[in-house]
Amino acid sequence: MQCAESLRVQAAFDGELDAVSAAAAERHAGHCSECRALLEHLGRTRARLRRDLDYGQASPELRGRIAHMLDAEEAAGRRAAQPRPAWRSRPFWLGTAAGAATALAASVAVVLLAPLFSARLPDELVAAHLRSLVPGRLTAVVSTDRHTVKPWFAGRADVSPAVGDFGAQGYRLVGGRADYLDRQRMAVLVYEHGAHVINVFAFLPGRGILPAEATRRGYHVSCWRGGDLGYCAVSDAGWEELTALRQLLEDLAARETR
Amino acid sequence: MDDKRSRFEALVLPHLDAAHRLARWLSRSAGDADDIAQEAFMRAYRAFDTLRGPDARPWLLSIVRNCHLTALAERRRRACEPLTEEHETRPAAGAGAALPDPESASIERDERRTLARLIAALPEEQREVLLLRELEDLSYREIAAVAAVPIGTVMSRLARARAALKATWPEAEGEPRAVR
Repeated sequence: MQCAESLRVQAAFDGELDAVSAAAAERHAGHCSECRALLEHLGRTRARLRRDLDYGQASPELRGRIAHMLDAEEAAGRRAAQPRPAWRSRPFWLGTAAGAATALAASVAVVLLAPLFSARLPDELVAAHLRSLVPGRLTAVVSTDRHTVKPWFAGRADVSPAVGDFGAQGYRLVGGRADYLDRQRMAVLVYEHGAHVINVFAFLPGRGILPAEATRRGYHVSCWRGGDLGYCAVSDAGWEELTALRQLLEDLAARETR
Repeated sequence: MDDKRSRFEALVLPHLDAAHRLARWLSRSAGDADDIAQEAFMRAYRAFDTLRGPDARPWLLSIVRNCHLTALAERRRRACEPLTEEHETRPAAGAGAALPDPESASIERDERRTLARLIAALPEEQREVLLLRELEDLSYREIAAVAAVPIGTVMSRLARARAALKATWPEAEGEPRAVR
C-alpha cells in the first residue's frame, strides 16, 4: 500500500516544490507514518549513496588523453589546407579532357597561390556538414524532385545550382537547405549514398582559390567550379564516391547549359 | 589556443569528474568509463556550438549518457565479454586521494561492493535517474531533458529506484554493521 502523497513528499525532499507546497507536504508527513518513513529512507539513501558512490575521479591519464584529443581537434580545425595535387588523386578513368584541364589548372593554381586562399573554407564546410547531421537539421525542403528543390532556393539562397536526382546511380537526392557561411547564403543539396550523407554546397566562389580536396576530422571535402559557381561536396564517404557524384553533377550542369 | 578551445576548457572541462563518474556508474566498468568519457568530450567539443546557456553540465551529461548507450548497444551487438563482478566493482584508482588504513579500507570496500551490486541490479532507466539525481544533483527538469522522458516519468522511476534500494538495503544506517 502506497500513500498517494508519496511522490509529492519525494519532490519536497528533492527540493522541487515551492515553499507553500513543500510546507503542505511536510504537514502531511507529520501525520502520515508511511510518508515519515519514506522521508527517513530517502535521507538515509542519499547519505549512503553520496558517501559511498562519490569517489570516482578522472585519472590523470584520462585528463591527459582528453587534452591530447583536444589538441588534435584544435589542430584539425586550424591546420592550413594541404590539398593533394588533383591530378595525382583523381582516378585515371575519370580523366575526361575537360576534367583533366580543370584539374591541371587547379593544381597549377594551388601550387602558385596556395598561401593565398582561405584555409578556413574546408573547416567551415565540415562544421556545416556536422551541424546538418543533428536530427532535423539536414533538409529544409524534402524532395527527390529537382523541380521542387531548385525553385525552393529562389529567395533563400544567393545562387541557383544545378539540381538532379541520381538515384539510379546510387546517389539519391533527399532534399535541400540554405546554409549561411562564408558571408553568403549557400544552396545545399543533400544526397544519400548508401549509409552516407553527402552535402553539396553551391556558392559564389569569389576571388579565392578553391581547395581541390581537403580532409578535416576525417571528412572529405571535394571542390570544383561549374560555370560561375563553386561547388563543394562534403561527406564521410570515400574519395571515389565524392568524385563520382561530382562527375554526375558536372555532366548535368554541362547538359543544362548546352 | 583558439577561442573555442579556451571557452570549452572554461565551460566544459570542469565537469570532467562528473562525466567520468556518471560514465563509470552507468557502464559499471572503470575501463569503459574512460573510453566513454573521452568519446563524450570529443563529441561535446565538436558539438560545442549547440550548447545553449552557461551551464554545460546537464548538456555534457546527456552526451555521456548517449555515448554509454551507444557503447552498450555496440557491446550487445558483439555480445562479447560478460561483465564480471570484479569488473563491475573495481574502485577507481584513487587519483591522489589519501588511502585509509588497510582494515577500514577493506570494510569500506565491502560496503561499496554491496552498494555497487544494488545499483547494478537496478534496471537501466531507473539507475540513470537515480545517479543523475543523487550523484549529480540535477533537477527533475534537467534529468527529464537528459533522459528524454517527461518529468512525471522521472519522478516515478526515481521512486521505484529508491524503493528497490530500500528492499535490498542490508540494515539501517547508523547501526553497527556486521562484517560478512
